[in-house]
Amino acid sequence: MISDTIMHERTAAQIIADEFLIARAKILELAATLDRLDRADGDIENSKQLVLLSQGMQILCDSESDKAKRVQLLMSRQYEPEWIEKMAVRRRDVEGS
Amino acid sequence: MEYIDPHLHMVSRTTDDYETLARMGCVAISEPAFWAGFDRGSVESFRDYFRQLTDFEPKRAAQYGISHYTWLCINAKEAENVTLSREVIAMIPEFLDAKNVLGIGEIGLNKNTRNEATIFLEHLDLAVKYNQQILIHTPHLEDKYQGTRMILDMLMGDSRINRSRVLVDHVEEHTIEHVLENGFWAGMTLYPVSKCTPQRAVDMIERYGPERLMANSAGDWGPSKPTAIPDLIMEMKKRGHSKELIRRVVYENPKTFFSQSKPFVHG
Repeated sequence: MISDTIMHERTAAQIIADEFLIARAKILELAATLDRLDRADGDIENSKQLVLLSQGMQILCDSESDKAKRVQLLMSRQYEPEWIEKMAVRRRDVEGS
Repeated sequence: MEYIDPHLHMVSRTTDDYETLARMGCVAISEPAFWAGFDRGSVESFRDYFRQLTDFEPKRAAQYGISHYTWLCINAKEAENVTLSREVIAMIPEFLDAKNVLGIGEIGLNKNTRNEATIFLEHLDLAVKYNQQILIHTPHLEDKYQGTRMILDMLMGDSRINRSRVLVDHVEEHTIEHVLENGFWAGMTLYPVSKCTPQRAVDMIERYGPERLMANSAGDWGPSKPTAIPDLIMEMKKRGHSKELIRRVVYENPKTFFSQSKPFVHG
């Protein structure tokens, strides 16, 4: 952790009361998107995007924390520590340095 | 509440937006050079753009009592054209003494290519040579994590870089910790769909604390909201955070960071 976490001013009960309708609306949007896909012509069973959405929804339902960060990483290209060597990135000589 | 927007592309906005920003408490803006929505064809296009950023835009802002600062570079998207990029980098020093230039930016990566990395490194050389602060653009969506790590590798591999003079922008949940724990400043960009909401930004403030952390709207020519900082202020108030904490994020932190550049005189 970088610095002390700032204590939440709201309790869990307050947060669920404040944000239930917002979260409910977001789940409904997601559900309606999946319904739209169901009704549409064409086969996307092998769609990488559909797989990612499905894996993202699994993260929402599991018991682990850090859900936003884990969804972000799921949707991200992988970082390779040896990218500089692989890309052969070299600094251009600047004034002979 | 008075605030500073540390990343706002006013060349894309109307004069009405300046008035609205002033009414909402915005007292200063910093505007990094960026992509115009199309690739420019010559170094002269950039010369005109830099004149706009260093001459015209500060005057437009001043009409509403807003201080306007800027950063110069060729952005990551156009950096794919290495020849043009080198011409622009060679021309930038003509403008570095302008009274509102804070440094080199927003440099970074877009699709994380070799050419982009090459030009990023050459911008670092320029910043070091002229003792300039650096403002960094990190890629969007699926490219962000990889690109941010690559950018940090390049910064940390250069012993000449003073990390306290570098702001890494567009951090999100999966990149913020890498930026802060390595001693850089971090900016959260409040932007519809592709970046971060005020709610998620406040979550990050609660989780990581306010040290070296700021927020911006990045309002530009795309779907964006130049008044996103007041939305963040509202969300923090709604959650019961103190005025001191809010002011630190939206005013004191940008002021502290920018004050490391000579032209910054606000407050």
